This record gives sequence, C-alpha cells and structure tokens, in this order.
Amino acid sequence: MNNPLDRRRFLTSAVLGSAGVVAGATALGSLAPEAVAAPMPKLDKNGIDPNFAEGRITAINGSMLMVTASDRSFHRIQLTKATSVWKLRPTTMDQAKVGDGLYARGVRMPDGVLAADALWLNIVNLEAHIVSMGTNVLHLDHNGNRLVGHVVPGTTAAVYNGTPAVRDLSMLQVGKHAQVIGAWRPDTNEVDIATVYAAAA
Amino acid sequence: MGNETNSVQSATTAETSWFCCGGGWGPCGSAGGGACGNCQSGSYMCAWPNTSDACFNITRPDQCGDNLLRWGCGHTFYVRNLCGANEIAVRIADCGPHTNYWCGERSCCSGNCATDRLLDLTPAAYSAIGNLSSGIMPISVHS
Amino acid sequence: MLQTLAALAPLPVGVLLLLASRVKLLGKNTPEVARRSALRKLVGDERVVGAYRAVGAGELVLGALLVLPPSSVVEAAVATAACAGLLGYLGYARLKAPDSSCGCLSEKVAPVRWRSFARAALMLVTAAVALGAPGYWLGAIADRPLATVGLLAGWFALASALSAELDGYWLVPLRRLRVRLSHPLGKFVPGIPLESTMDILYRSAEYRSAVGLIRSDVLEWWDEGTWRIVTFAARNGDEHGTAVFAVPLAGDGEIKAVLVPADEPVAA
Repeated sequence: MNNPLDRRRFLTSAVLGSAGVVAGATALGSLAPEAVAAPMPKLDKNGIDPNFAEGRITAINGSMLMVTASDRSFHRIQLTKATSVWKLRPTTMDQAKVGDGLYARGVRMPDGVLAADALWLNIVNLEAHIVSMGTNVLHLDHNGNRLVGHVVPGTTAAVYNGTPAVRDLSMLQVGKHAQVIGAWRPDTNEVDIATVYAAAA
Repeated sequence: MGNETNSVQSATTAETSWFCCGGGWGPCGSAGGGACGNCQSGSYMCAWPNTSDACFNITRPDQCGDNLLRWGCGHTFYVRNLCGANEIAVRIADCGPHTNYWCGERSCCSGNCATDRLLDLTPAAYSAIGNLSSGIMPISVHS
Repeated sequence: MLQTLAALAPLPVGVLLLLASRVKLLGKNTPEVARRSALRKLVGDERVVGAYRAVGAGELVLGALLVLPPSSVVEAAVATAACAGLLGYLGYARLKAPDSSCGCLSEKVAPVRWRSFARAALMLVTAAVALGAPGYWLGAIADRPLATVGLLAGWFALASALSAELDGYWLVPLRRLRVRLSHPLGKFVPGIPLESTMDILYRSAEYRSAVGLIRSDVLEWWDEGTWRIVTFAARNGDEHGTAVFAVPLAGDGEIKAVLVPADEPVAA
C-alpha cells in the first residue's frame, strides 16, 4: 500500500468502519493506562537519556541523519516510515534539511544508531513579550533578544488562557507576554509560529 | 491549586512546559547551563520557581496563591503526565517557569485538573512523557 | 543662548536623579527591584538592597542640590562624574549581567539596551554643559520663558523616549492603537487547528488507554467528513502498528480508536 491516499482510505475505514472491516485491527480504549505503560529508559549517571538526541543535521544519507550535538558529540539517527516528523506541522522525512536543528526520541540500537520514533525539526518553545505587530508578523522580545515570529495562515493557532486552540489571533496584545511553539528558520532570528499561548485581552 | 498551600512533598498537580539549556541551536544558543550551571537539554532535568530568593523574585508563584517550598539544585522530583502512564525522575537544574505570568491557567485530564505552571522540563524529560509539539502538559509531581 | 543652556542644564539632570531616587527609596518592591538589577552581580546578594538604597540616597542629595539654589560648579562636576559612573555601570551590566534589569528609573523590568546608554549619555552631556552655568536655572527661565520651557519639554520628551521603563505609558498604547487600526493579523482563516484536536485527543480515555503503545508524535492527520483522523506509530514488544484515532471535528462526541498492525516491515 505505497500510495498515501490508499493508505489513508484504508486507515479511515479501519477507524470509522464497523468492527472486523480491517483484518487484525483491534479497538483501543478498553485497556487501563497502567496496563500498557511503556518501558522506562535507563539513564546514565548525568541523567542523560540514551534514547534522546539533540543537535544540528550536518549530512543526510538516505534516511540516516548525521547530527552534531551542542556538546560536539555525533549522532546517527535512522528514520523509518513509522517516524513522526514535525517541522512547523506534522510532515514527512524529506523535509529534513542539512542545517536544521532537531530533537529526536527513539531507541538506541547496539551499533549506536538512534532508531527515531519521533523527530522534531527546528522546534523552539519561547517565553517572550510581544513588542509590536506587523502584517502577519509578531515582533518578540525573548530574554532581551529580538525575534521575528511569522504567522503562517492556516497553520498558526492561538491558545488563550488554556482554552482550546483557535485560528483567531486578534486577541493577542502588544506589550503582553506569550509562549510560542514554532519552527526556527536556521541561522536567522526568525521563527514560523505553530502555536502561540497568551492571556486573552 | 489556587489559594491552597502546596509544598510539593505529597503528590500534587501542575502544568509544565519545556525549555532548552546547555547551549544548542537557534534561540537556545544563548541558553547556558541554567541557574545551577549543569543544565542540559538531553538530561532529565527541570526548572523550579523557588530555588533561591533571586529566583523567587522573578517567578513569584505566591502571586498565583502557590506556596512552594525552597528546593535547591539537584533535588529530585517525580513527574507523570496526567494524560499518560509513565513517571520520570527529574533533577532541578534551573530557575523557572514564570509562574506569575500564567496565574489560573488550567488543563485537565480524565477529571484531574492541573492549575498554574510550577515546573519546566528539559526536552529530553518532556518528550519522555509527552510531545514537544504540545507546549503545555498537565502533570502530577511529588518529591 | 549657550549661557542659557548651561544655566538650564542642572534642572533636568536634577529632576531625573530625584525621580530615580524615588524608586530606590520609596518603591513598594525595592528589595525585589534591587535583586533584579545588575547591582546584585556587582556587590553580591546580601549587600544589594543596602547598596541600591545608598545609590538612591546619593541621587536624592545630588538631585536636590542641582534643583535647589544656588548653582554651583562643584555640583555640576559631581553630577558629571556620577553620570559617567552610570555609563560605566550600564556597560558592566550589559557585559556581566545582560538579563538583569537596569533598576534605574522605575520598578518595571527594563534590561540594559542601547536606549539606557543613550539616556545616560544625554545626562552626561547635559551635566557637563552645566559646568559652564552662569547662574541659577530659574533666572534663565525668567529671562527667556518660551525658549527655555520649550527646551526643557524637548529634553524630557527625549529622555522619556529613551526610557524603556516608560514605554508602557506611551509606546505600547501607540502600538496597540496602530494594531487596532491596521489589523495586521486580521486575515482570519477558517478551520479547526490541529492543536485543538490534539487537546481533545490527549485528554480522552481512548488516547490514555493506548498511550503506553504509542511511540511517536502525530504521523499524519486528515479530515474525513465530520471527523479528523490522527495517526501515531505504535509498538508493543516487537509488534509494530499504527494507532488511528477519529476525533469529531465538532469537539464533542465519541472518539474512535483502533490499532492497525503494520502490513509490512517498518523500514524507510
């Protein structure tokens, strides 16, 4: 089932169709959470999780990412079809580019390769003040540094006072603080905004 | 949590987000080792709003009615996603979050609600119990 | 005209010093403001509040001397030295404690930036000009009231513009007004953000029951009629699969969830 649309149709019928439509599919929802707790990772003496990696992509070899961490250590990260890739939004592995920053979580294989379950590209989480606004732009002060936050119509969402996310950004206020989950544009002081958390005006 | 006294010795609930530290790429490049000097994004570490007087003066959890005990660098908290199953141990490595910026913010899971941001986790810790793409997570936390 | 300027100069410097001393001596949160300032780095945690208050007392005395008669070249010289010291302090703050607040003119947090330097430089130049004051500033105002009041208004306007602590009184309202008039973020795109769906899903019993199996963030999502379908990679021991959730777009109602086993090896 290589065609993504065919696969989507198949999975749609699996979840919305009646029981037994898809062979082998099992309904979820009946198990207690404790019954399926994931195994816990073993940390080293510094609390470093071997199943986690951060750094910048220095080379891409097929589905293998070569990554240099901020402590200059080197990681090889293997992506598979089962790896979720986030870059401003859920996307596909071909969006990973040399120079991207990343956080990855997966399973460390005996050969040192991290088989990634989840990959977050260029993701940043910023506590900032909204200094001013321009056309689809928020000018942010993050720890005294100026950042440009780009609103991406159709993607950027706002969460006001912890209520469900909406696309309406009109309640954001100049001078107020905000938390921004976004995708950094490598080697710039600009981010594309995925979600902005703010206190409603 | 509201106006109740909360020492975080017995299990309590709170909201958490994540922060990068120990250098790194992008806007994290300027983030050093945190208030304790040893914070790393790849470690199971956290920021606590009352690690010192100077820290408390910045985060001001008391303005949200949260009476938090003073815990220093290296203190261990046990944290579980209210919407999840696993519990992880994290050590204090920095001062934060800005609790008073978000007084009263609340999120719930299965009838359990968490109010106010009392803890921030490193990306390694946060992603062990949640997804980095969600900026806020309700947790239970105890010493 | 130069003599008028020199005679007038002690007044604005003195007034600004008096305003600065007010924050340090009469502020509601003086200890907190002191600990946030770069002075903490300079003198240490224990001495910072005392040092901050001492600076305030110095500013009060010097400000009063500059504003009250008679005019004195010694006062101007001390003020010039103090302003040079302020510039030095700002340089130290920028280098050694860039995240700390100036603690200069208000209790509001105002990190040391170029405007702080520009304001201190303005004060330094003005204090230096006061060294040539021919007499008390009141005489200069009486001689040329319109020109001197205009000059003073211009000086204070410039000092205000260079004071990040005062932005809340004029710059922020101005920017808010511009936003209200121009609606820069006003292009509303209809639709329900994924974040909203995820919020509902993460809280659901269906997701919680599967959370131990789920290994990834969102793999894919799409809308199907009144449903939003969200998929995750799942793993139970060596068995791989896809956890598929259907969340009602309306936000309420039953969430459907199935685990579909992988139909092929999970390879790139």
